[in-house]
Amino acid sequence: MSGQNNRRPKGLAVFILILPLFLLLISLSIGSYGISPRGLFKTVFSVVSPASHPDVPAAYRDILLRIRLPRVLLAMAVGAALSVSGASLQALFKNPLVNEYILGISSGAAFGAALSLVFLGRAFPPQVGGFVFGVVAVGAVLLISGKAESHFISLLLTGIIVTAFFSALLSLVEFFASPYVLQALFFWLMGSLSLASWKDLYISLPLIAVGLVILYLLRWRLNVLSMSDEEARSLGVNVRREKMLVIAATTLITAAATAIVGIIGWLGFIVPHLVRMMFGADNRRVVPLSAAMGASIMMIADDIIRGLSSFEIPIGIFTSLVGIPIFLVLLKKTRKVWL
Amino acid sequence: MSIRVTNLAFAFPKFSLRVKELAFESAKVTAIVGPNGAGKTTFLKCVGAVLPTAKGSLFIDGRDLAALKSRERARLVCYVPQEHDTTFNYSVSDFVLMGRAAYISAFALPSQEDTRAAAEALDFVGLTGYADRAISEISSGERRLVLIARALAQQSDILLMDEPTTFLDPKHETEVLQLVRKLAVEKMKTILVTLHSLEMAVQHSDQMVFMKRGEVVAHGKSADVFQESLLESVYDMKMKIIDWEGRKIVLR
Repeated sequence: MSGQNNRRPKGLAVFILILPLFLLLISLSIGSYGISPRGLFKTVFSVVSPASHPDVPAAYRDILLRIRLPRVLLAMAVGAALSVSGASLQALFKNPLVNEYILGISSGAAFGAALSLVFLGRAFPPQVGGFVFGVVAVGAVLLISGKAESHFISLLLTGIIVTAFFSALLSLVEFFASPYVLQALFFWLMGSLSLASWKDLYISLPLIAVGLVILYLLRWRLNVLSMSDEEARSLGVNVRREKMLVIAATTLITAAATAIVGIIGWLGFIVPHLVRMMFGADNRRVVPLSAAMGASIMMIADDIIRGLSSFEIPIGIFTSLVGIPIFLVLLKKTRKVWL
Repeated sequence: MSIRVTNLAFAFPKFSLRVKELAFESAKVTAIVGPNGAGKTTFLKCVGAVLPTAKGSLFIDGRDLAALKSRERARLVCYVPQEHDTTFNYSVSDFVLMGRAAYISAFALPSQEDTRAAAEALDFVGLTGYADRAISEISSGERRLVLIARALAQQSDILLMDEPTTFLDPKHETEVLQLVRKLAVEKMKTILVTLHSLEMAVQHSDQMVFMKRGEVVAHGKSADVFQESLLESVYDMKMKIIDWEGRKIVLR
């Protein structure tokens, strides 16, 4: 049978790594108000040097800088964040079924944002409440399940229980919400990039960047941490400390992403699997390629949503509806162990 | 490198391990035998500090194991588990490379020196051609050798091998134990190995430790300590030792 090295097409890896940059440019020109590539470059130069391109319409600059750029950057960051978070958590818990929801972060963030929308109104950014309760949820999971180095099943079970608890709290908040707020709430919970603004980016981008850098640096260590705790300890790893570090970094990026765009389903689960199918299990490749592939998928999904329909389907629904069938087709086609 | 164990104790809810005094010498193979539940694996894990809360003292060449950091300890002593659960399908070379974790900072990648050490370890166990194979695609016997190669890449002087021959056919069982002997002789490793096969244990070890219900009931040179009366009392059954062409066969 073929070995791991046969699944390492280097050209494809390089293509995946640089794809987000191309997609960034393409995504900026797609939308209800079309901007040609030439117009895009002229607008970019006009921002740098306004006098050099006086003919660029002010609307172009507004659309690009105030609407599309924050939205596309957010799609990139959130796609990379959720995918790397999923890859890291799967390695850490030695379980390919784990995703960022298992630690309760998503449900905690969803409850926090809903609480904020209903009781503090739209003037107050719901992301703050989402972030705070995302952290509260994961803190509760870790606290209740005991030491971080205890058996992962207790951590997973606690995650399920905490998720159920915050889901119940969310239902309670929805019960008290006015019909108008409820609509906005549902839209946010389904996962949406349409409300992206620079204000959101200023909050979430630095947090996502810090978490991504930590996990990128730890990428080989994730291989060792994916061994049993006993093996990892015998290999010279301070298992408890390094596990906490990975959990802290994944919590940071997942909470920051979820709080700002709502729940984006399946991305953190599917992307690392796709990468492992193509390039093997070594996290030195899985982490950066998951980041690039996650960013690309989010941008493509958002481009399709913006470009093909006059109304916007929430991207969380779109990623689940499209991602799951693609994953199943690949699973059936490859028919081999890739984990 | 020598090991001295003094008043070692570890307690599970329904089992406790108590070892008063034991010493193991450099370049020697010690077989730890005894019935199921005797505490052989627990003893190995305590010596390897894999179980974090063991009481008592463990000195390796005069250095207190409990006072060492994870990385320092791993450079001295390596626990080789019975089997590896292949959740993620790493290549054999990537797997062996993990043996270098004690030499690599958490935020760094393996260096060329680490890659070379892993390749040499793989070569020593005779699996160089398997470097790019996936760990799930090799046989269980080969996987045992890969686990040993990872331990070799770790370059610790003490190897604690937990039942390295379980489920292996006689040929692979012999090959693995010959490799264990080679490690002691050529690489001067201090090796503790738990085994169920008494014939293999006495044939391939210099020293034997007999355990029962969490305690050491006898220890000494293999040729001296391997007696019918001891085997019968340890295993609670009638046993007879037959000498055949210089080898010991146990009838039961």
